[in-house]
Amino acid sequence: MNNSVLVIGGGIAGIQASLDLANMGFKVYLVEKSPSIGGRMAQLDKTFPTNDCAMCILAPKMIEANSHPNIELLTYSEVEKVSGGIGKFKVKVKKKASFVDWSKCTGCSECAKVCPVELNSEFDENLGRRKAIYIPFPQAIPNKYTIDKRGYPPCRFVCPAGVNAQGYVALISQGKFKEALEVIRRTMPFAGVCGRVCTHPCEKDCERGQFDEPVAIRSLKRFAADYELRVGRENAVPVEKTKEGKVAIIGSGPAGLACAYDLIREGYAVTVFEALPQAGGLLRYGIPEYRLPKEIVDADVSYIQELGVEIKVNTPVKDLGEVFNQGYKAIFLGVGCQESMKLGIPNEETKGVIYALDFLRRANSGVKIELGNQVAVIGGGSVAIDCARVALRLGSKEVHLVCLESRDLTSKDRMLAQDSEIKEAEEEGLIIHTSLGPKRILTENGKVAGLETRVCTSVRDEQGRFAPRFAEGTAATIEADTIIVATGQRPAKVVFKEIEKSPSQTIKVDPITLCTNIEGVFAGGDVVSGPADVIAAITAGKEAAISIDCYLRGIDMKKGRPDTVTRVEEVSKAGVRPKARHSMPTLELGKRKRFGEVELGFDEEMAVEEAKRCLNCAVCSECRGCEKVCEANAIVYTMHDESVELNVGAIIIASGLGLYDIASLTEYGYKRIKNVITAMEFERLTAASGPTMGELRRSSDGRIPENVAFIQCVGSRDFRNKAYCSSVCCMHATKEAMLAFEHHPGTKSTIFYMDMRAVGKRFQEYIARAKNEYNVTCIRGRPGRIEVNPENDNPIIWYEETITGEVKSFEAELVVLAQAMVPQITKELADILGIELDEDGFVKAPDKLLQPLDTTRPGIFACGYVHSPRDIPDSVTQASGAAGRTAEAIAGGK
Amino acid sequence: MEEKDLSHPRIGVFICHCGINIGAYVNVPDLVEYAKQLPNVVHAERNLFTCSEEGISAIKRGTKEYNLNRVLVASCTPRTHEPLFRAACEEVGLNKYLFEFVNIRDQCSWVHMREPQKATEKAKDLIRMGVAKARLLQPLEEIEMEVDPSALVIGGGIVGMEAALNLANQGFNIHLVEKEPELGGTLRSINKLFPINQEAVKLIKPLVEQIKSHPKIKTHLSSRVSQVTGFIGNFNINLDGKGKAEQFTVGTIIVAVGAEPLKPTGQYGYGKMNNVLTQLELEERMKKGKSLGQNVIMINCVGARVPERTYCSRICCMTAIKNAFLIKESNPKAKVWILHRDLMTYGVDFETYYRKAMELGVRFIRYSLERPPEIIGDEKVENIKVYHELWRKEIELPCDMLVLTTPLIPAEDNQNISKMLKVSLDEFGFLLEAHLKLRPVEFAMDGIYICGSARWPTDVTEGVSQAYAAAAKAAGPLRMGYVKAEAINAVVNEDECSGCGICELLCSFQAIELQPRDNKRVSHINEAVCKGCGTCGAACPSGAISMHHFTDEQIIAQVEALFS
Repeated sequence: MNNSVLVIGGGIAGIQASLDLANMGFKVYLVEKSPSIGGRMAQLDKTFPTNDCAMCILAPKMIEANSHPNIELLTYSEVEKVSGGIGKFKVKVKKKASFVDWSKCTGCSECAKVCPVELNSEFDENLGRRKAIYIPFPQAIPNKYTIDKRGYPPCRFVCPAGVNAQGYVALISQGKFKEALEVIRRTMPFAGVCGRVCTHPCEKDCERGQFDEPVAIRSLKRFAADYELRVGRENAVPVEKTKEGKVAIIGSGPAGLACAYDLIREGYAVTVFEALPQAGGLLRYGIPEYRLPKEIVDADVSYIQELGVEIKVNTPVKDLGEVFNQGYKAIFLGVGCQESMKLGIPNEETKGVIYALDFLRRANSGVKIELGNQVAVIGGGSVAIDCARVALRLGSKEVHLVCLESRDLTSKDRMLAQDSEIKEAEEEGLIIHTSLGPKRILTENGKVAGLETRVCTSVRDEQGRFAPRFAEGTAATIEADTIIVATGQRPAKVVFKEIEKSPSQTIKVDPITLCTNIEGVFAGGDVVSGPADVIAAITAGKEAAISIDCYLRGIDMKKGRPDTVTRVEEVSKAGVRPKARHSMPTLELGKRKRFGEVELGFDEEMAVEEAKRCLNCAVCSECRGCEKVCEANAIVYTMHDESVELNVGAIIIASGLGLYDIASLTEYGYKRIKNVITAMEFERLTAASGPTMGELRRSSDGRIPENVAFIQCVGSRDFRNKAYCSSVCCMHATKEAMLAFEHHPGTKSTIFYMDMRAVGKRFQEYIARAKNEYNVTCIRGRPGRIEVNPENDNPIIWYEETITGEVKSFEAELVVLAQAMVPQITKELADILGIELDEDGFVKAPDKLLQPLDTTRPGIFACGYVHSPRDIPDSVTQASGAAGRTAEAIAGGK
Repeated sequence: MEEKDLSHPRIGVFICHCGINIGAYVNVPDLVEYAKQLPNVVHAERNLFTCSEEGISAIKRGTKEYNLNRVLVASCTPRTHEPLFRAACEEVGLNKYLFEFVNIRDQCSWVHMREPQKATEKAKDLIRMGVAKARLLQPLEEIEMEVDPSALVIGGGIVGMEAALNLANQGFNIHLVEKEPELGGTLRSINKLFPINQEAVKLIKPLVEQIKSHPKIKTHLSSRVSQVTGFIGNFNINLDGKGKAEQFTVGTIIVAVGAEPLKPTGQYGYGKMNNVLTQLELEERMKKGKSLGQNVIMINCVGARVPERTYCSRICCMTAIKNAFLIKESNPKAKVWILHRDLMTYGVDFETYYRKAMELGVRFIRYSLERPPEIIGDEKVENIKVYHELWRKEIELPCDMLVLTTPLIPAEDNQNISKMLKVSLDEFGFLLEAHLKLRPVEFAMDGIYICGSARWPTDVTEGVSQAYAAAAKAAGPLRMGYVKAEAINAVVNEDECSGCGICELLCSFQAIELQPRDNKRVSHINEAVCKGCGTCGAACPSGAISMHHFTDEQIIAQVEALFS
């Protein structure tokens, strides 16, 4: 027989059973699934019939359990597996990751003060708030903090680069703008750039979007970058070169710079080779200024340079061998797509036909461009829209855009450009012709005269691949003297002959490691994928950086990659109030003549308001603010769940009570009617440590109610719900009625009851005292429904007084429902333990009279509410009883 | 471990920043400098968190390095942290009572957050007071007392038997004392038991046999405990049984003397009309299979929940429903009415049982205390008149047999038990537990435990659970083999004691007794029983009682330090 015992549940019953066993010399493992022991009793304000402060009598027991040499607390833990039998159970317990090293945490609470994420506190029945890093209540045992992490938030999960959107949004909501930018830069250096031009997949998946509208995540990112530009920043501190091996990056576009950024932070020396006079690639030479001003690109690039990345401009690289010869150990090719795709239609060579890349590069370099009065742009992506808007700004009178795609952005054939840019372009006068394909360029005197089109019936096939289909014949003709072709681009044909390429001229790489066919050479971004968005290029650069780091350290590039992440499963939207998304302020139409930025960005107030709309899906936002302030260095973000094996002789189940979901009792209007609350909520409102510091106020107008009604048996003794009597509610309501009076003398309470069940010592006298001294009236009757008085939000109770048979109404200022209580044990846990539950889910006893605390499996015992509906004294008695039975069962014959 | 020289206090002061909990409001470096110049302080330092591993090592290192013989920590609260710091002292060979705690967080930095200057001054005062006391601290020892590995169970009913068996099965020698010549208690007269309608005799019979054949249980029938002396671990028991006295020693005691059903005193014709009985009498009839008539009426709460006996006796509603159920089951044509007030069918099983009884045709009529049922008849009760609350009219029911449901009342023995064991009775005459909520099966007196209806009416299920609970408590000291007495206890200076007896009167733990000494009576404190609450020390008019660790000298030194 093993002399250790496992106790499941750290409420008063579990604590008592543990203490009794420990005092008998047994080694006890007390497993509690929440971060603190204390259970339901800790939530109570006072306890009947003595009106002792619950915490005052419970806390010493909690402390005793914590300091007893024979008791080992395993909080934030759950039983996963049980094998063996009486005397020799083997139990696997999962210790959930708290992300805080409890051996170092001193409970000083500094972390919670800086945590930007607030959510409803379970302990306060969702009436109060707690932080993502928290102790459930001030007297928690152990007094150690836990970080509530629930996976990756959707925004971060869908971001190809994994930018921690929830993190910076949370910090912005707290006015911590500098810190927000730090969070962005933890992943990538392009806050200003991506804050403007990112295609923001994060917003598409934003959970807030399922409620009203997605959070304006991109604009918030931009805000963080703009804020720094406005207030200025210190130069970044160069990173110390700690690792062997110089890396060459060819191309200073987003892919190349993202790769350089990650490598320099890993401690490598990095040089970027750029053919053009300035760094930035397409960011600088492709995207027009009214969308992405040069100083924004400069700001992001200079940050990268300050960290120590050397950028050699005007330095085209022709020969990779040469680069290796210079001592570089690895090369990343991020040279992008330099060649515009041709249309392949008649008369394409005519004067007046120009190509988007060339057009934008010249426009962005300030080279004068001769454009006609009527411009037709061909293409439906961002580049096409950019060309059109640049043309408008260069003075063309009429600009048309012809594209195969549909303007319906929900269709599979949608235009690829962003909604906002299309709208802005249309405001600026762009005329868009959708579902049309170019058929022939019309010429006059050797110059462009217009575009003949045909109807496009479908752009993409079922798999989403580009496979346009056209109707027979000719559609509209668009007059134009200039045609800008913006139908895509591809890598230049000639570069790096030794690198293997696909027929479409893109470089072939391993999809995971981004290795090319030549050892030590990696490639990513548009040169691999073909034209894509900025965030995809950044992602490629980051992935390549991981590979290069592995490569240079001689680690397997596939195994050396970070763990896959899981997306947060469920996001509660309970209690969220609708609030519209802030729209981006834009430059007045009349002022959009030149290249000034069209979108103006949020001001501080807008940013904070918008950020507060975030639902904090993952709870912890990983902003790492706690890490900074924890003087004990106790925060461990990399912690994992842990499994421990216990050998025990017996098990006691004391998992307590849950609150029955009374949503089905719609007649009482819980959660619909403002001033209708549950008894447990009432308890938190009267508790001095509760969310209102013990002020009992009603939610509709914050007034102290002077006339409170209690409705008993809400879900109990009710065939539609729970047929049994929950046993404690009559006394519970009586106590709460007394508390209402004590908080606000004179308060009148009315209890609607079926039978006033008061069977314990001094219970009858307690009820008599309530009636005689605390202005409590009891009315026998089961209310049928609750309505609301629209004038004052008072709930009106309709009931039949069984003693007189009259149907009456009763107007109260606050109604408290005695919610039924249920045993807190899941079928899964019962199965793990191998015990039977009864129809109502209580633990079944094999012999109700002589083995009342046994379960159907020898060696496993039960006590407290999970065993049968019990009040505290009875639960405590049962707990000691279960300890006694355990001692008898496993230590017999001592 | 070598004895520390305590004559010259060498005090080490460790001041905690508690992160910024203290550090942000109180100038801790300033406190350290201040502490250093206090008399007898040979070392002072500050720690970011004195409770952290680093802080604890600092205490141990400091104690060795500076040869400290008193340690003072100024930090959060002793409530949570004193045991930790005491343990640190013990690890380096310092008696844990040479440790002094000064609370400068909960009682200083937290309450004076807005006045850091004043908070610092107050912290200095507190530390100065702490040092003044620390100078006078003396080592104390917790006495360990051996425990006789045996127990006495008083009461041979189902609850007492279960408690005895539980302990005996754990290997302890048990004396089971029953005043009647047979084991089984109240259950011997009961027919069947709710909620599973088990025959009571069949339930107790195997138990009685187990008890009789158990090698560890000695049963004393027709016996009463006549005297108990001693204390936890070593109670001396005198037994008065069948004309011969017996004596033995036990480590712990369980009281399971049960309760008695109230005999009605004339209510509803009881004792005058021949067809009026109590539920217990009904059970006896049913056991014997006697006829009950076609119309059976039960009245609940007879003598309970009335002004002269306000309590609800918890089990009677179920008793009535059970008997009604059984009558209907054996004679479906019989009519059974239960006239009740609130129906106490709490929980799952009772509520189910109640519903089943209704399905069987038992009729429930609610009456109020203001309009109780009335009997009609001369020799016997012919009819019952009752105001039917739901129908809102008075009705008359035919009655062949009237059964009165009466409460359990405290056993007569309770008075004796109370005096003999020095345990209290509650206002109803039941035995009084140490704490209604959290210590329901213990008495205030260590080593004596209570279960079953002697404390409060209980059914079998609850009584058996309580038996195990009491057994668990009683087994604690037996299994450990020793008990530790509180080191912080009261001591009497017998020369100063005037023998007034105030202390004896006030002591909640019966630890004090006046004893003769040199022609006078002086207070004697049993240190095994004393809890160190300090009540006697405060009350002693001659100042003869002082408290270890809180001596007058120490407290006065603190007060003087405050005003110095």
